[in-house]
Amino acid sequence: MAERDAGRIFTGREVTSDLDLTADVCVVGSGAGGSVVAARLADRGARVVILEEGGFYPPGSLPLSEAAVYPRLYQEGGARATADLAITVLQGRTVGGGTTVNWTTSFRTPDRVLAHWRSVYGLDALTPAALAPHFDAIEKRLNVHEQPDDGVNPNNRVLHDGAGRLGWEVARTRRNVDGCQNLGYCGFGCPIGARLSADQTFVKDALARGARLHANARAVKLVREKRRFTEVVAEALDPATDLPTGRTIRVRPKLVVLAGGAINTPALLLRSGIDLAGKVGTRTFLHPVAAMFGKHPAPIEGYYGAPQSVASHQFADRGAGKVGFFLEAAPVHPMLAATALGGFGAEHEELMAALPHASALIALSIDGFLPKEEGGTVSLRSDGRVRLDYPVRPEIWEALREGCKALARVHLAAGAEAVYSLHDEPVEIRGELDIPKLDRAAWEAGRVQLFTAHQMGGCRMSRDPEDAVTTPELRLEAHENAFVVDGSVLPTSVGVNPQITIFALAHWASDHVASAIRLG
Amino acid sequence: MSRRRPSPPSLALPGEPYGRRSFLRRGLVGAALLALGGGGWLATRKTRVGPSAAGPLKVLSPQEAAVLLAVADRLVPERQGFPRPRALGLATEMDAVVAMAHPATQLELKRLVRLFESAAAGLLLDAQPRLFTESTPAQQDQRLRAWQTSRIALRRTGFHALKRLVYASYYASPETWSAVGYPGPPVETGVAGRRAR
Repeated sequence: MAERDAGRIFTGREVTSDLDLTADVCVVGSGAGGSVVAARLADRGARVVILEEGGFYPPGSLPLSEAAVYPRLYQEGGARATADLAITVLQGRTVGGGTTVNWTTSFRTPDRVLAHWRSVYGLDALTPAALAPHFDAIEKRLNVHEQPDDGVNPNNRVLHDGAGRLGWEVARTRRNVDGCQNLGYCGFGCPIGARLSADQTFVKDALARGARLHANARAVKLVREKRRFTEVVAEALDPATDLPTGRTIRVRPKLVVLAGGAINTPALLLRSGIDLAGKVGTRTFLHPVAAMFGKHPAPIEGYYGAPQSVASHQFADRGAGKVGFFLEAAPVHPMLAATALGGFGAEHEELMAALPHASALIALSIDGFLPKEEGGTVSLRSDGRVRLDYPVRPEIWEALREGCKALARVHLAAGAEAVYSLHDEPVEIRGELDIPKLDRAAWEAGRVQLFTAHQMGGCRMSRDPEDAVTTPELRLEAHENAFVVDGSVLPTSVGVNPQITIFALAHWASDHVASAIRLG
Repeated sequence: MSRRRPSPPSLALPGEPYGRRSFLRRGLVGAALLALGGGGWLATRKTRVGPSAAGPLKVLSPQEAAVLLAVADRLVPERQGFPRPRALGLATEMDAVVAMAHPATQLELKRLVRLFESAAAGLLLDAQPRLFTESTPAQQDQRLRAWQTSRIALRRTGFHALKRLVYASYYASPETWSAVGYPGPPVETGVAGRRAR
């Protein structure tokens, strides 16, 4: 390939007049999916333009305060949620996408999940053997390795020791870090650039090979002529206010790669009038999360130290008809804790006053595997805002309830004085005899706080054209020159933290994307 | 935005796209409330604005800010070491958070605040024919609890919208960190955020 000057990142402030760009490939989104495709295509000589709606905040550029980072690094200023506010949606929105605020837990896609995808969705190519070289390449670039024992903070130690004493499977996790100082601020955008997120790796690789990235560039419409996309229209946003500046960026590519994530990719398709007979934006899965706060006699200081370094998959497979779940820890910073904790007034203050002694453990339900499980739906409101609905099925409520019981037992086994659910009327557990209280609690939307940090589906890949939004090679159905390469193609949830799955799938899919264009 | 004539309160909460119509589907109480909210005598009661609620507000009206401050006073009642919401300038902080939202979300939030405050809604929903801001602390707690535990999912959603706004604004403020024993971040970084807020 010809030598090409390195590309760079342009912010919205630099777009002082309307721009018309031509490219071989226009990638919408710079997270785990988009960054890898951009880097791999640029490596093959493609002229790549990346559009990223979020801003560009290099490591250390933001103060480590929740008030500063949530509005800048998260979707909807950190306020994204399901329409009924029952599930808080933590989802990144910045150069590097979700990987830039990810808590670094790095699992490969479990074999049983791949087997399910092959048998139910005809994704025959996705075998552990076929994907292994792609996982290897990703893990090498992201320096994925097991967290050393002395890097397990007291919050994760609660899960490690508690589950261990109960005789449950529990293990230290692998993390994508290099030179990590275990500060505890992964979710704030690593202040020292030690987390090898997309912005620190594949985005840089893409830029080094000539790609051009526009931050603060919100793709608003895909323009089509019959089955071919001719143009991606984006509006430039002011980095200070996040409001449109009035400048437009038009990219005319040979090929479009949609990589805005499981909520924004379906939304962009819908905005462009593409719903593929109502399939776009359906079957969204979230790993719905419930949490239990443990008050421990010793200081936990859950705001410091690597936020996640231990996981238990003891209950991931609970048999046919039951929804599995896995157990992890969550960081305990004041704002996140305050909005999560149940109740209000003096009772809430009492829990907040115990913050240094609080351990937060989470149960993540593995959705999407029941027969006819529909999950959630992404749609557009009449005023253009994206809307996410997720009716929690009884089987998922059951899993969250059992998950909270398991977490309560872990806390108690690790020596907690008291354990609290996140119900509006928090369930207090001081011993094994209190655990049945959780059976009597209200497991209903809006009566117990739920979360999701893992958004999947909405543009599912499938062999069956009647069911698919993308082909098994991630090509957008019924169109000639578009691929979807992000978490939205996943036909179910993953059963583990999904970032490595999305990175590796993008690495694998890059070959298919490359074969779809003639370069030059 | 705050200069526009306030529309009658409705239960178009964050997450409800259809406003009145979807509310009406939820039953007679709602319909009666809408009728009253539009023209009933209780709807004429006005929120009194204390001096500390006023300030350079971008989106909230001084009345709406006063209601949110009153809510904050009950969500964070007096306790040793916990600063009072007014002392933190919480109205301005909450206004800044609301200002970041989509204009339609801002409007929904403003409607929610007015409905929560309204004497008509208080009467119909909770047998409290008075403004939230003119109720005693015990009555205010009762009203908050009624929204929190309501059988109407939309009211619970409304409660959570208020709760999240208040707590996110209050506990994001470094002045509250010592109350909860949070020593703050271990390293000093960043100027971009400090400039902007």
